[in-house]
Amino acid sequence: MQGRRLMLAVVMLAAAPALAAEGWKVPTAMQRLGNGLVVVVSEDHSAPTFGLCVAYGIGFRLEPEGRTGFAHLFEHMMFEGTPNAPKGVFDQVIEGGGGFTNGDTRYDYTEYIESAPISALDPALWLEADRMKTLDFSPQNLDNQRKVVEEEVRVNVLNQPYGAFEWLDLPQKAFSKYPNAHNFYGNFKDLDAATISDVKSFYERYYAPNNAVLAIAGDVKPEEIFAKVEKYFGSIPMRQVPPRPDVSEPPQTSEHDAVEEDKLAKVPAMAIGYRMPPRNSPDAIVGALVGELLHNGEASLLYQSLVKEKKVALQVAGGVNWPLGSPYEYNGPTLMTSFIVYPNSVKAAELRKAYDEVIRGLATGGASGAELERVRAKMRSDWYGELELPVERASVLAHATLFDGKPDRVNEIPDELAHITPEQVKAFARKYLVPTNRTVIERVPAAGMAQGGR
Amino acid sequence: MRRAWLVCIAFWASACIASAQKAPALPKELPPYGPLVPFRAPQVMARKLDNGLTLWLVPRPGFPKVALVLATQGGLAADPKDRPGLAELLLATIDQGTTTRSARQIAEGVEAAGGDLTGNALSDYLVAATDVLSSKLSDVLPILADIAQHATFPDSEVELAKRNAADNLRAQEAEPNFLARRALAKAVYGDHPYSVMAPTQESIAATQAAELRREYARRLRPDTSILVAVGDFDAGSLTEAIGKAFGTWKAPAEARTPLVAPPTGQNPHAVFIVPRPGSVQTEFMMAAFAPKEGDADYAAVQVANAIYGGMFGSRLIKNIREDKGYTYSPRAFLSPRRQADLLQTSAAVRNPVTGASFNEINYELNRMATTAPAADELERAQRYLVGIQAIQLQSQMAVAMQLARLWAFGLPPEQLQRESENVQRVTVQDVEAAGQKYFPASRETIVAVGEEKVIRGQLAPFGITMEPAPKPD
Repeated sequence: MQGRRLMLAVVMLAAAPALAAEGWKVPTAMQRLGNGLVVVVSEDHSAPTFGLCVAYGIGFRLEPEGRTGFAHLFEHMMFEGTPNAPKGVFDQVIEGGGGFTNGDTRYDYTEYIESAPISALDPALWLEADRMKTLDFSPQNLDNQRKVVEEEVRVNVLNQPYGAFEWLDLPQKAFSKYPNAHNFYGNFKDLDAATISDVKSFYERYYAPNNAVLAIAGDVKPEEIFAKVEKYFGSIPMRQVPPRPDVSEPPQTSEHDAVEEDKLAKVPAMAIGYRMPPRNSPDAIVGALVGELLHNGEASLLYQSLVKEKKVALQVAGGVNWPLGSPYEYNGPTLMTSFIVYPNSVKAAELRKAYDEVIRGLATGGASGAELERVRAKMRSDWYGELELPVERASVLAHATLFDGKPDRVNEIPDELAHITPEQVKAFARKYLVPTNRTVIERVPAAGMAQGGR
Repeated sequence: MRRAWLVCIAFWASACIASAQKAPALPKELPPYGPLVPFRAPQVMARKLDNGLTLWLVPRPGFPKVALVLATQGGLAADPKDRPGLAELLLATIDQGTTTRSARQIAEGVEAAGGDLTGNALSDYLVAATDVLSSKLSDVLPILADIAQHATFPDSEVELAKRNAADNLRAQEAEPNFLARRALAKAVYGDHPYSVMAPTQESIAATQAAELRREYARRLRPDTSILVAVGDFDAGSLTEAIGKAFGTWKAPAEARTPLVAPPTGQNPHAVFIVPRPGSVQTEFMMAAFAPKEGDADYAAVQVANAIYGGMFGSRLIKNIREDKGYTYSPRAFLSPRRQADLLQTSAAVRNPVTGASFNEINYELNRMATTAPAADELERAQRYLVGIQAIQLQSQMAVAMQLARLWAFGLPPEQLQRESENVQRVTVQDVEAAGQKYFPASRETIVAVGEEKVIRGQLAPFGITMEPAPKPD
């Protein structure tokens, strides 16, 4: 979910990427501090700027029961000051340095980013280190940010058509365990119940240097950054981080279906989510490609079939781990989601039939060599796009390091994509894109519901 | 082609207590900033083909992609009076077939180069954009050139686009932000062509394929178009390839469409209500006329706006978000068009604090209008604006879009550099004067989208005329 600032919807909807074979790679260097903090540097002197990301290995999946939405509320508290740098200092210093800062909470990480001209690098590092040491655990600031977060939920969910059901409701229907199947933005009852002692214990449990990766991309040299990070972060003590619980799901045996009434939407929508294999399993990379083949752009199979040929849909979007990240950035049960908006004149059953025909086509015919070639080019191009801006590159490198222990993972993905065969695509569709492995939510405008519009 | 928003990332952050005039003291141990790096605008190689097509090229070796933007003068404001929003349909169908390529072939051809073609109809100009792998650049140029010269607007594609446009409009009309933006444009610009920002059901239904073909022939001409390329290419060979692909594009004999006239008069001071039953927030969208880019006091207004609500540490955000918690997403920004500019404020606030939020917004506007900023506030805003320009212009596509916009506004590429320098020259007195002139709350046109009873009840104490928002035309 989007962090404490509203960034453009584009950020949320950006299609999941992936990369390809030959050519361009990003330089990476890595070092681990004595306290366990991992530092990653990608040197790029094309502009006198830097992008910085500190990613912690805690997301909304592992937030406590009875505290839905807490990981994200906590993210807001990271901007509320420390005993050394009271509320307001952080933004004042970063913006006064010509830059911006933000945070994001996702399933399995929470990240804090800054980007600015290089002249603001030292103050930015100091501020990140400062809030890794302690926070200003102020009840007044907690009350303030609770209100802000509740407004965030109103503006992004409660006052919007569709209410983000494709990523808030779908996992709750698709999975059975609390970590995978709760309201990640938070029920107001739970947000209201959060106390400052919750903030303290969450911070102590998860915001340790040995549970974090700090990545910097831009006009810097690795040795220089390693020294600076040692200087600012080296004295922060390592802490015991709780072992990761088992979040795996029992196998799904039948299709999950739901119909939701939407009081604000005027045009119906549907979300379809298939359970995906674990990250880095041999099938996972095929899933990433299939997600793109189906959803990415006007040439995609679903767009061409549902919007253009059969004329049963208006918009199609989706992919693996969409819209909350790339197909390589999750650490637990996740979905390949299709989000479809369709005309009032089309019945849900017609849309489902047309959708199933596309899936069946993949399962019986697979994809042609030419199709794979095109999708790979698009995935390579999009993945490079993810690595273009220093701040985005820092973020992607931090995730790869957090999940796989090596930043260079971002340079390997292309080779893996390049080797996927039409047969693998077919086999993947047969194994995973089956009704017993999916959840479907129909989101129907209240007016249409009353008229029996299904 | 699909609709895309311009790359216009706005950043705004959090900060201290609203009542405090002074920023909190900085920690003693905080290291100082390094020497300030001056902003260096991208260097543009400007050329023109014999047919009048302008090229702005920015070669940047290294990152192996290229952003391409094809822009044409004459956007939504150039649509026929009885076909508001026609430009959107024009862009939705321009890539749905040429004399030699089907819609699918076009989409697949662009994808094979690593791109996705998106279109955007703005008030003053039309944009088609894609970013592709530099190794495939030569594959995509002929496709773009084909679309610019030989689009056929097949009847079946136009019919489908019309049906989808009608439903997409219905879907958009469920979004409070869309309703607010549309109502504000109409309220501020009245009968001026800038009042149109979307089609209507009537205009969509009435549009015929033949009309689109006519408009295409009239408006898509090389002598009112630009191709911007930013990225990893050799300028010499790219120029040659563009010449080959686009050199055959001929301007029609008829005269070019004249620019729209600047709007005259004042924007009305009133609250325009868009009732939206079931809303749990009131969405405010407010605006007043402001100087245009290139005007003498433009930089002062930019700086004043940053202090007021344009960055996260600004007064408005400190007040209604970080102090009072009324809203998640308040912001202030300039909304430039070629012949006009607006200073805008937007905030979505929960219903019970509709009146209280409006009171604080007015307070912050009037504070700008009646008092001078503190020296450190000014300095921070200047440093922010200079630095953030460099940050925002890091991606190829952001540079290409900015350059296309400058060109469409009749401004040279050097404008970016000039603006940055002008911002650094702004004084406390300049901000104070800009505040007095442009920020009084009494200059604002206000749109409020939400529960009508809530809005009328809570805004009554302000004594401002309230009326239903004008119908979009």
